[in-house]
Amino acid sequence: MNVSVDPILLSVLCRRFKSITEEMGLALLRTSRSPILSEARDFVTGLYDKNGGMLEQTEYIPVLAFALEPACKAIVSYFKDEIFPGDVILHNDVFTGGNQLADVALFKPIFFQGELVAWAAAKGHQADIGGAVAGSYNPGAREIWQEGLRITPVKIYEKGKLRSDVWDLIFANVRLQIVQDDIQAQIGSCTVGERRLLEVLTRYGKQEVLAHIGALYDATESQMRREISAIPDGTYQGESYAFYDAIRDESRMRIVVSVEKKGDEIRFDYTGTDPQTPGFVNAPLSATLSGLLLTFLMLVDPDIPHNAGLTRPIHVHVPEGCFLNARFPAATTFGNSLTGPHSDALFRALSQALPERVTAGWNRMLSFSMVGQDPRYNRRFVDILFLSQKGGSGATYGVDGYDHIGLINCAGGILAQDYEMLELQTPNFLIRHEYWPDSAGSGTWRGGMGVVTELELGGEENLGIVFGDGTHSEARAFGLFGGGSGSCNRLELEYPDGRLILPRTKDKLEGIPKGTILRQWAGGGGGYGEPRLRPMEEILNDLREGLLSSEKARTDYAVEISAEERGRR
Amino acid sequence: MRWRAGIDVGGTFTDFLLVDESGESHIHKTLTTPEDPSIGLLNGLRDIAAEKGWTLQQFAGRLELIVHGTTVATNAVLTHQGAPTGLLTTEGFRDALQMRRGVRESQYDNRFTAPQALVPRRLRLTARERLDYNGAERTPLNRDDVIKAASAFRQAGVEAVAICFMHSHANNAHEWKAAEILRKELPGLYLSVSSELFPQIRFYERTSTAVLDAYIGPLVRTYLGSLQAQLHSLGFRGVLLIMQSNGGVASASVAMRAPVTTLLSGPAAGPAIGLTYMAPCGLKHCITVDMGGTSFDAALMVGAQPQLVTNGRIGGYQIALPMLDIRTIGAGGGSVGWVDSAGFLRMGPMSAGALPGPACYGRGGIQPTCTDADLVLGYLNADYFLGGRIKLQTQLAREAIQEHIARKLKLSVEEAAAGMFTVINNNMVDGIREVSIQRGYDPRDFPLVVAGGAGPIHAAVIAKELEIPLVVVPRASSIFCAAGMLFSDLSHDLVRSFSVPFSQLDCEELYRVCQSLQQEAGMILEHERVPPAERCYFFSADVRCVGQHHEVSVPMRLKSCETDLNELSQRFHQLHDHVYGYSVPGASLELVSIRLRAVGTTQKPSLAAPAGHHKDISQALRGRRRAYIPETKCFEQVPVYAGELIGCDARLRGPALIEQVTTTLFVPPGFHMICDALGSFTLSAEGRKVEDLISRFSTRPGSSQETV
Repeated sequence: MNVSVDPILLSVLCRRFKSITEEMGLALLRTSRSPILSEARDFVTGLYDKNGGMLEQTEYIPVLAFALEPACKAIVSYFKDEIFPGDVILHNDVFTGGNQLADVALFKPIFFQGELVAWAAAKGHQADIGGAVAGSYNPGAREIWQEGLRITPVKIYEKGKLRSDVWDLIFANVRLQIVQDDIQAQIGSCTVGERRLLEVLTRYGKQEVLAHIGALYDATESQMRREISAIPDGTYQGESYAFYDAIRDESRMRIVVSVEKKGDEIRFDYTGTDPQTPGFVNAPLSATLSGLLLTFLMLVDPDIPHNAGLTRPIHVHVPEGCFLNARFPAATTFGNSLTGPHSDALFRALSQALPERVTAGWNRMLSFSMVGQDPRYNRRFVDILFLSQKGGSGATYGVDGYDHIGLINCAGGILAQDYEMLELQTPNFLIRHEYWPDSAGSGTWRGGMGVVTELELGGEENLGIVFGDGTHSEARAFGLFGGGSGSCNRLELEYPDGRLILPRTKDKLEGIPKGTILRQWAGGGGGYGEPRLRPMEEILNDLREGLLSSEKARTDYAVEISAEERGRR
Repeated sequence: MRWRAGIDVGGTFTDFLLVDESGESHIHKTLTTPEDPSIGLLNGLRDIAAEKGWTLQQFAGRLELIVHGTTVATNAVLTHQGAPTGLLTTEGFRDALQMRRGVRESQYDNRFTAPQALVPRRLRLTARERLDYNGAERTPLNRDDVIKAASAFRQAGVEAVAICFMHSHANNAHEWKAAEILRKELPGLYLSVSSELFPQIRFYERTSTAVLDAYIGPLVRTYLGSLQAQLHSLGFRGVLLIMQSNGGVASASVAMRAPVTTLLSGPAAGPAIGLTYMAPCGLKHCITVDMGGTSFDAALMVGAQPQLVTNGRIGGYQIALPMLDIRTIGAGGGSVGWVDSAGFLRMGPMSAGALPGPACYGRGGIQPTCTDADLVLGYLNADYFLGGRIKLQTQLAREAIQEHIARKLKLSVEEAAAGMFTVINNNMVDGIREVSIQRGYDPRDFPLVVAGGAGPIHAAVIAKELEIPLVVVPRASSIFCAAGMLFSDLSHDLVRSFSVPFSQLDCEELYRVCQSLQQEAGMILEHERVPPAERCYFFSADVRCVGQHHEVSVPMRLKSCETDLNELSQRFHQLHDHVYGYSVPGASLELVSIRLRAVGTTQKPSLAAPAGHHKDISQALRGRRRAYIPETKCFEQVPVYAGELIGCDARLRGPALIEQVTTTLFVPPGFHMICDALGSFTLSAEGRKVEDLISRFSTRPGSSQETV
């Protein structure tokens, strides 16, 4: 193949791939049933080359996104030359490239003139994927089979024909009908991607497009190399802890990362990280690599295209058997959520090299998900309360943290439910959802605000799963360079009989009665820099806005505001 | 002689198109006066009057119609110059407006900051009250809370208040009561009530829409009120109509009721006028593009209907009312070319504006712009830019391109300029794709109508990239939107929630709902003095599969229930597959809401064809110059024609350049140019026929809208 590279066509294709994945995302958003997809956007879409290399993605939740490439590669090597036009392949297995069983991916090979040229993929967090607990978050799991149905690469369509036997087998193991509907929506999204990519191939020609894909990777690689070159050479250490492994009280797991930057390459070594836990607080390698990449991408040019060239200068060693690369058959559902403590360790390490790029700590996720019976329609409902778990991000040099952004894994891509839609789709009744005053870590630039939520459970036979971290004072969003920490997460349930339940951070609550009040405080982000250097106008503004109390203004910022002065302001 | 005027107040210029009874038209441009746009507007009218030897009063008395588009509202939002605004909302939810559902649009950019909330937290006050998802009362409205809020608003000097309570889409009683109290407590206050503006589910969207309305309300009301009064005192007794975001016009008094509907007033006039220029070839659909100095607007017209969105954004602020689906990107003559850290050539979105302007203006601009590239490529005539009012300096353009692009990419200046030309064209291609392909329309089925000073140079190349077979460049392309205003109909969008599965749909009830919507719309048109014969009603149904949360808007007609439902289902499934890649023909469907667009047809001026020009193209030949031919990547000697000498039916084959005072048209090889009956330059790709467009188009699913 001898096609000269046209820098202009390169720019055009780069844009076009992106817009195709965005259109795929829009299609999925508008057709899916589960509020986790249709309201919160807990999904990703992407295009891959014929070998599974990443072409471009739309990453509403990056921790899922960067696990698509390894899965696509696993599929390619599994089926080899048994891939045909009209095939659709289903996959979720964490030991062949997936990141979490409930994050189910669909892959559709794209053929042009009889030849496999690319893949379209869509992966979304399903309302259920079987296993011991409805909703497929099982805090009691000790091995993968207790978490959900493990789907290694399997064709649900072959040569355009639905394999009803496979379809029925899979959905015989899944609790909710809507999962089938949502899988269909994901297939539709892949078809949209296929149609659009075929248009591109028709327009520019196969040779031309394929040659430019190679050049696109090379250009992205050299951009990444330039970004890395700008980081001072050296070795930087960082560590952090995840708390409670869902089995052993008071347990804490250490993450250690050593970042070695030399020339235009960078190496991340996790040697010294604690061994895998007996419970589900473990990550499959894909989830860990995803967590690393999404954090690192925040430290380079945010406009860099996302394709296979991106990772070439990045080397990673995660020892097998540590809790960030758990051995088969470990339970790993908590793996996505380890991105919180993982990114803390990375930011701490790189704060030495890139002090003006890293952020202070982000609020760690503490999530409450629910399965129950909706008495209004007499049907099952599932929801993850995204709105109540979205705390603040860490501040960075020159900019306050982002309010109510939520877990770092989604980087502000996942949406809080609209209040009215939440009450329409689930029997729950929202009492309050507001900023949590004083939750942000103080600093020259303060952390993003956390939120407080109060909600009345209206369903029956409620099963609640608590899933997260950040209640331990050491797990608060940490401050940087003199900045203060964000506030702790907290979650409580007040049962109608007056009992107050304080669940652990990984917990399963069965039979929560109707009428129970759930209260949750999602903490703020960490502050950056000495609080006393914060401009007075900013402090006064937070006071006027009721985001900062006069007491905290006094203790953290040494600003004395009398009650009457406050009234005047 | 009676006159009609279309007046478009833009960021830099205020454009006028005046048409008299005979169809004779007059174009005028004057500088905009941002501090009070009515000054510039009246200045312009005075100038025109003077040219005709009249006083402003004499002229005002002869105007029977003014259609006005204004950026007053848009600019107030973009520059945060709206009224001090308060929000009254349900206790517990005061922060929804600022939280914006927790989205960070630029995910990996830790320096990204959210747009500032239009109402600060201290003015977002709450009342105890609550309805459930069905509109049933859980907590009655606490009147004292509203009174307390009123006093706080008064103390803070608030001029406008938005009211948005939970689930007012299902029951507006609490909002109405609260509004009544606030009106009594704060006479003269501007009030936006969410359920009046937009009674639809989704709390954040409704809140945001109501707040936008309140924020710009006093300004728009004051501006329009004062304009009305000034015109009246000058003796104007005609009708003043205002351009709305939905592409229709409304009487000034109706527009003042919901100023948020004027947010896109201005570019919204484009699609309608685009269609007018399609008349000679008899098409009812087109893509309009407007490429000015800094931005490029693209929009679609389908089945004589403009395309609307209900999730638009202005300056990052969400607006849920229907507005034209206009995609605006930073691509214009002033767009700056640069090389990013990956070595990719980029164009815009930054613009050199009018000052310092493109490098070739010689006003101190050093960055290479699109205009510089167009000059180097030979498309622009250095001595005839704006008819020679600005002398362009090719050497400065070359230096800027050499320094910032060519050197970095190791290209010659010409190659770099050609690259800039291609990249900006592709940005515009993407903009067009967003309003067409991403909405399920194939741009190849549409002719392209081109406006704006810079548009005609790029249009044919863009069309080629998208395989659009026909390009139409109207003579008045530089004052396109002002012209569009005279061709817009009165138009109002109404929506009613009507949530029911198809299996339980009572057609009688559906019919009643449609009728009551129609009645409501009829009253508005009545108020605007539209005679019944000129009223049209277009219904559509928002339909989805049971369990889905987003709808497909399906055009609807009502005759007999059973066949209609079948037809509706069929169209739904077709659209679903087309846009979303699949359909489930057996799925149970549900209706979510009924939409009505009520249109009052206005009398359109007739566009007279230019008289006294040459049908024989050789009479218009001005000379030849070297220009870049994208197909061969070479420069060739290209004939240059004087646009003002080209008459109807004149024709030529590309490559050619046609120069007019405010624009230059590039006809690439492979295109035929014919001057049509309205004097527009139409370019058609060789081997394609206009008839193809019509036949291909009519086979698209869901493309036509019908009346009840």
